[in-house]
Amino acid sequence: MSNEQSSIAFPSTEELSGPLLRVKDLRTTFSTPRGSLTAVDGVSFELGRGETLGIVGESGSGKTVLARSVMGLLPRSNTTQTGSILFEETEIVGAQEATLREIWGAKIAMVFQDPMTSLNPVVRIQRQITESLRLHTSMDRAEAKATAISLLSQVGIPSPAERVRAYPFQLSGGMRQRVTIAIALACSPRLLLADEPTTGLDVTVQAQILDLLSSLQSARQMAVILVTHDLGVVATRTDRIAVMYAGHIVEMASTKRLFASMAMPYTQALLRSTPRISQPSHTRLIAIDGRPPDLINPPSGCAFAPRCTYATDQCRSERPPLRTAAEDPTHLFACWNPLQTGNAGSITTAKGEN
Amino acid sequence: MSSTTDAVSSAATESSVGVSRAPKKRMRKALGTIFWISICWIGVVFLLAIVASWIGLDDPNNGDFSLINSSPSWSHPFGTDDLGRDILSRVIYGARVSLIVGFGAMGLGMSIGGTLGMIAAYRRGAVDTLVSAASYVMLAFPALVAVIAIVAFWGHDIWKITIIVGVASTPLVYRVIRAATLSYATREFVTAAKAQGATDTRILSRELLPNVLPTIISYFLIGVATVIILEGALAFLGLSVPAPTASWGNMINESRTYLSDNPWLALFPSMAMFLFLIALNLVGDALRQSFDAQESKL
Amino acid sequence: MSAETAPLLSVKDLTVSFKKGRQVVQAVAGISFDVYEGETLGLVGESGCGKSTTGRAIVRIEEPTSGEVLVAGKRLTGLGRGELRRARTSIQMIFQDPVSSLNPRRRVNDIVAEPIDIWKTETGDQRAATVREMLEAVGLDPDVAGDRYPREFSGGQCQRISIARALVMKPKVLICDEMVSALDVSVQAQILNLVEDLKAKYGLTLVFIAHDLAVVKNVSDRVAVMYLGRLCEVAPSDDLYALPAHPYTQALLSAVVEPDPEKATTHVTLTGEPPSPINPPTGCRFRTRCPSAQERCSSEVPELREIAPRHQVACHFPTLRP
Repeated sequence: MSNEQSSIAFPSTEELSGPLLRVKDLRTTFSTPRGSLTAVDGVSFELGRGETLGIVGESGSGKTVLARSVMGLLPRSNTTQTGSILFEETEIVGAQEATLREIWGAKIAMVFQDPMTSLNPVVRIQRQITESLRLHTSMDRAEAKATAISLLSQVGIPSPAERVRAYPFQLSGGMRQRVTIAIALACSPRLLLADEPTTGLDVTVQAQILDLLSSLQSARQMAVILVTHDLGVVATRTDRIAVMYAGHIVEMASTKRLFASMAMPYTQALLRSTPRISQPSHTRLIAIDGRPPDLINPPSGCAFAPRCTYATDQCRSERPPLRTAAEDPTHLFACWNPLQTGNAGSITTAKGEN
Repeated sequence: MSSTTDAVSSAATESSVGVSRAPKKRMRKALGTIFWISICWIGVVFLLAIVASWIGLDDPNNGDFSLINSSPSWSHPFGTDDLGRDILSRVIYGARVSLIVGFGAMGLGMSIGGTLGMIAAYRRGAVDTLVSAASYVMLAFPALVAVIAIVAFWGHDIWKITIIVGVASTPLVYRVIRAATLSYATREFVTAAKAQGATDTRILSRELLPNVLPTIISYFLIGVATVIILEGALAFLGLSVPAPTASWGNMINESRTYLSDNPWLALFPSMAMFLFLIALNLVGDALRQSFDAQESKL
Repeated sequence: MSAETAPLLSVKDLTVSFKKGRQVVQAVAGISFDVYEGETLGLVGESGCGKSTTGRAIVRIEEPTSGEVLVAGKRLTGLGRGELRRARTSIQMIFQDPVSSLNPRRRVNDIVAEPIDIWKTETGDQRAATVREMLEAVGLDPDVAGDRYPREFSGGQCQRISIARALVMKPKVLICDEMVSALDVSVQAQILNLVEDLKAKYGLTLVFIAHDLAVVKNVSDRVAVMYLGRLCEVAPSDDLYALPAHPYTQALLSAVVEPDPEKATTHVTLTGEPPSPINPPTGCRFRTRCPSAQERCSSEVPELREIAPRHQVACHFPTLRP
């Protein structure tokens, strides 16, 4: 027990003031053979300590690129980043690799989607955990090993003292993901980025992993950014949710508010096209027509307009800015024709829908 | 980092609305001028070798003894060798040997080895294990030594050499084609074809072959180059086509003795061989690159 | 769909075993179920339960070790190679990976027409017309899509092409093996709607294999739950999801995440990890993780028996719990 406590570093009172992470107008562009692709187009948000933010979007929305930008993990070549990512007074955009290396693992850690490719298959679990510990703290081998075993038991791996000597292929998918969480938490980071941590895992394992993340988070006062395409995953485990589409945040609100009174037609469309077990069998899903836009040549106006049933001419020509909702200043949305409050639950019949 | 590029490329491909004209143009650009020059050169060599008898060349096998070891001149643009034979004529006639042995042997190797490789990769199981084991055994033999021994024993006319080298190249071709086919044979479109009731022959020829063809072609060309060099090696041991037939290997071998007197003897056949081999390699490589580029989009 | 009419697809005691080195893995350990004409049977379970293997064994892409598969009364298992080939047109399959299911070097028109070409049922204009009809039926414009290669299409569109190809010979039964698992949420909804429409239009009978419980419920009339090679429970969709009787089904359903912040996350946490299929537990395979496991469960294999109309459970101590 005392071992765990000595590895948790609570922030000091001076550090407690101000948000942990402040992203301002982040724009990430890749140069591809076909042209320059703006994966993240002007994203701003703040994250407080111990807060959980869910970033929801489909593939191509920019959510993974955003997570990696926050971490500073993007390739150096063919990538341009503008804007600011301020993590506890350190600027991530344009930072030197040496600065980033001090932050990685120690202050910000990341859990990736596929544990088989994010774990080194030829290195034992023990070394993969202690690597980070030896790098950022002054522990010796024995201490690091003991901490690794303690971490494995914290993430719910049975017989940790034996398992610590195992190779990744000897563990199941769920166990491997727990190991990646253990590695991420080894140095008690302030911020954990989880990029689709449960996609591809079985439903029962998914529930276990998500519970694990919640409990570890509250024990360590850690902030979490949970990136996923599944609205169900973020519904009960986040304080706030940001919905991304085509590189922008199109809606951001506290979780309860988002589901109760969503403003963006895209958020509503996403929700209504997801089958739920609470619906009766053969419920007609209201699918979104068309496909996400070409990020190399994005359409003028709102990126979702070509697929939106409420689109007007203004939507197609002018891009809507992020505005605050009248009833709740923390609810941001980018839409010329937001859904009326209270409409979220009912099936609104508009042109072109069943 | 790789899944960032995955995210980027998935964003890029997801966003192309159906049509993408770009790939065809890019393929031609990727092939480039060097490719086309090489193709032309290969074509020229083939053409000359075929029409050699009809373009009024001097007799390659009988020389004018009064003109031995002469330097290039108008009547003999490449000079003459130690028996007064016109080198230009011999180089052109010599191309026939290289072409026949090169393309013939690789053609044989590819037919046998390639077919076996595709079948083994598709069927897997017992067939694959057996044939692969046999190929390991054959590969364990030092190929060059085996070829030399067999040629020395059986005889060295052009057809025998072609057959021997062809058979010797089979196990390597088998392994390469098998590996290339395996990556397609495990894909679901093959299973889907089976599920529609296609016969194995149909699957091999219509589903797998079109996908493996790029590998076959580029490997074939590089193999031809290797075989031509092998013919040169045989010539150095006196085991290539018997004199007085001209072959590039023979000519280079003979030129060793006269290097100080008549460097032209060595220069022209070497140049001919060198240029042809480079052309083959460049074409094979360019094709492989352009097919890889297409692959990455698949 | 009454009990008197014979089922269109009948699976009896299907077993599929693999040799892994020196050990034998029983991926599917004797399952039986019937699918009636016009219905969709959902087959759901977690990874390693054998649902995909079942689908492939039905179509005999994997060879069943024992058991029988009957389509419209005709035995599919035990057919020789030639007869099996001919029988293939009556039962088709759609695979999980939309891109890998299509030959990258052939045009869409040829891909969709492949079954016609194999069986030479139509030529020339008639063939072209059928291909057009199928492409339109799956929501693709034949003039735009027909001449293109698969690499120019998205995952959802590729899956549509696979569906068109599967339906060209008007099969009686369609096995969908995780067909929407690799697709984005919004594309998934499009494809699910498409499948419902095609089912109505062509009178299809489907076996829908998936691990996503909500997707399976949406598409299926009846659902079968598998665990480690055996069937746990089979019931009409709404019944199964409302009142699951098998402890595994209950645990599975309670672990599903719903996009509803008000939904309480009280779930039955399963203890431990799924056991290895190489050495499955004796008796009921779920007993090592079951909260209601007792003495009898380790000695006796529970058989599927009916506890409510059309609701079958393979459990010694089922409880109807919402």
